[in-house]
Amino acid sequence: MSREVWCIVEHRGGEVDNDSLQLFGAVHRLDGEAVAVVCGDEVAGLAEQISGECDRVISLSSSALASFTPDGYAQAIVPLALERQPSAILTLHSHFLGRDLAPVLASRLGTGLISDCIDVEWRAGFVGKRLVYRRKLIATQRSIVPGIQVATCQRGAFEAPESSGLDAAVEMLSVEIDVDAVRWKVGEFDEAEVVVGDITEADVIVAAGRGVGSKENLDSVQRLAKAIGGTLAASRPLVDHGWLSRGLQVGSSGKTVRPRLYLALGISGAIQHVVGMRDSDVIVAINKDPRAPIFEYADYGIVADLMEIIGPLTDEVEALRG
Amino acid sequence: MRIAVLMKAVVEPESRIGLGSDGEVQCANFRYELNEYDLYAVEEAIRMAELYDAEVTVVSAGPEEAVQSLRKGLAMGATDAIFVPVEESMGDAFLSAEVLADVLKPVQPDLILSGVESNDLGGSQVGVLVAEQLGYVAATMVISVKVGNDGVLNVRRELEGGNFVDVDLPMPAVLTIQTGLNEPRYPSLKGIMAAKRKDLVRLELSDLDIGDSQLVETIEYSYPPRRERAQMIEGSSEAIASELVSLLRAKDKVL
Ligand SMILES: Cc1cc2nc3c(=O)[nH]c(=O)nc-3n(C[C@H](O)[C@H](O)[C@H](O)COP(=O)(O)OP(=O)(O)OC[C@H]3O[C@@H](n4cnc5c(N)ncnc54)[C@H](O)[C@@H]3O)c2cc1C
Repeated sequence: MSREVWCIVEHRGGEVDNDSLQLFGAVHRLDGEAVAVVCGDEVAGLAEQISGECDRVISLSSSALASFTPDGYAQAIVPLALERQPSAILTLHSHFLGRDLAPVLASRLGTGLISDCIDVEWRAGFVGKRLVYRRKLIATQRSIVPGIQVATCQRGAFEAPESSGLDAAVEMLSVEIDVDAVRWKVGEFDEAEVVVGDITEADVIVAAGRGVGSKENLDSVQRLAKAIGGTLAASRPLVDHGWLSRGLQVGSSGKTVRPRLYLALGISGAIQHVVGMRDSDVIVAINKDPRAPIFEYADYGIVADLMEIIGPLTDEVEALRG
Repeated sequence: MRIAVLMKAVVEPESRIGLGSDGEVQCANFRYELNEYDLYAVEEAIRMAELYDAEVTVVSAGPEEAVQSLRKGLAMGATDAIFVPVEESMGDAFLSAEVLADVLKPVQPDLILSGVESNDLGGSQVGVLVAEQLGYVAATMVISVKVGNDGVLNVRRELEGGNFVDVDLPMPAVLTIQTGLNEPRYPSLKGIMAAKRKDLVRLELSDLDIGDSQLVETIEYSYPPRRERAQMIEGSSEAIASELVSLLRAKDKVL
């Protein structure tokens, strides 16, 4: 078994997804050689973007890899992995490589998969730590199959190492893809609309979560937002219910915001929400559950029924701002 | 056309989740509910069944409480259900996938739907692994599904940052469903009554052709390290409001 750890690099539109570099940080935890694997059509530019960040680059190119497909990527990666036997293969726990590719790779390599890891190590085998039961516990899991290991890493859990400034060796391989065995036909990408004056530009955000309870209660949240001179935003469930528009959703599948003040009302603090707001300057959380994970990100925490606080808070703010 | 839906009974978010002195998760008081993501999958399957004249089989492998979830699926409009009791402690995605795939083999669904992940363990692997076991193609994070005239599935996948991509793929296929693509119905009284007469088949693990396929074991549970805790503000609602506002104004200068 080699010390190589393969990090499958995520990219789109000719740009490497910078979070992919965090995978090299995970490789350090495994004391391995960080090998970036780039699959695509035109890969030279991508290889160049990362060659200063890792120990080696393998680029796998074919016109059939122009768009990501699980079958295409697996055809490119699996035979080479079986030949070279890297100790592990890592991807981000992303919507493409993490969710669609990693289970396919694990399955075709006959190995297990530990997904959404916040830490990895070797401890009598490959070990990954992951948050379970809505972040209330960490489960430490170990693969019980020898050979190549597959894991996905949570965005933000590992730090990308400092750039070495040295260009790593790039191995360019062109691969044969049997296009008849590629079952996805990829169509249009539809980019999120960029709206001027949207929540990403707000100074103060009042964000409502499922704890708000009803559409009627949202009016009180709206009133507070207005009083405080802020913008209303929401966690995903309120958008899913059709109470608010998609453009107001904060989180991994919505917007990333960084206001001076973020008020989280009845939001539990799921990772997909937190990644969109944790860099706010000051975070206030109101939640009736004292163990809600949102309190770990908050500067000020209030354990209470938000509907009881929101009235007095609105009054207080109105009195202040006149 | 036959559509199967994978349903999981997950630990209710309000359940008290803690570790015993033996370091094991204390699950005696766990209450279970249907995984939220799967609820959207069931609804989508029933809508597709209405549109394309299909039958819907709901399937669960898990704790005894999953029977309630399956009954809910039947009451919403599924045709029949299959349940395999599996102990929570065996929770390994490969094992779950192997059990589900073996159950589904004779059913031969054209389409299998599941939620994007489970609310409690959140591995987001089982759907794709079931596809691999059955030789189906899979797509995850689906927020819209249509069947074209040629029998090809046109799906829209959600990407990070609110972006989307459209993908066409042939059946048989597995799709994992993201919340928000429909509005799950509440079972009607009529639906609930009708569900009582529908088939709910119970299979035991010993009835299935599965190997010793566990690939990952959980060796330990622990509490996440507490980060710097928030400054907690307590008192009457009025006192809290006034203290918060003065802190935000005087200390943080954000008001
Ligand atoms: C791939 C993927 C992408 C996702 N993307 C996003 C995203 O972009 N943004 C996002 O937000 N989510 C996203 N999610 C969903 C995310 O996992 C959570 O389900 C969601 O953030 C939960 O929203 P919530 O906190 O409002 O609801 P819940 O988790 O249900 O929390 C409600 C909270 O309100 C509290 N509460 C209830 N009643 C009251 C009351 N009266 N007073 C005070 N507190 C109360 C409860 O204690 C609880 O903590 C995504 C999920 C997946 C799988």
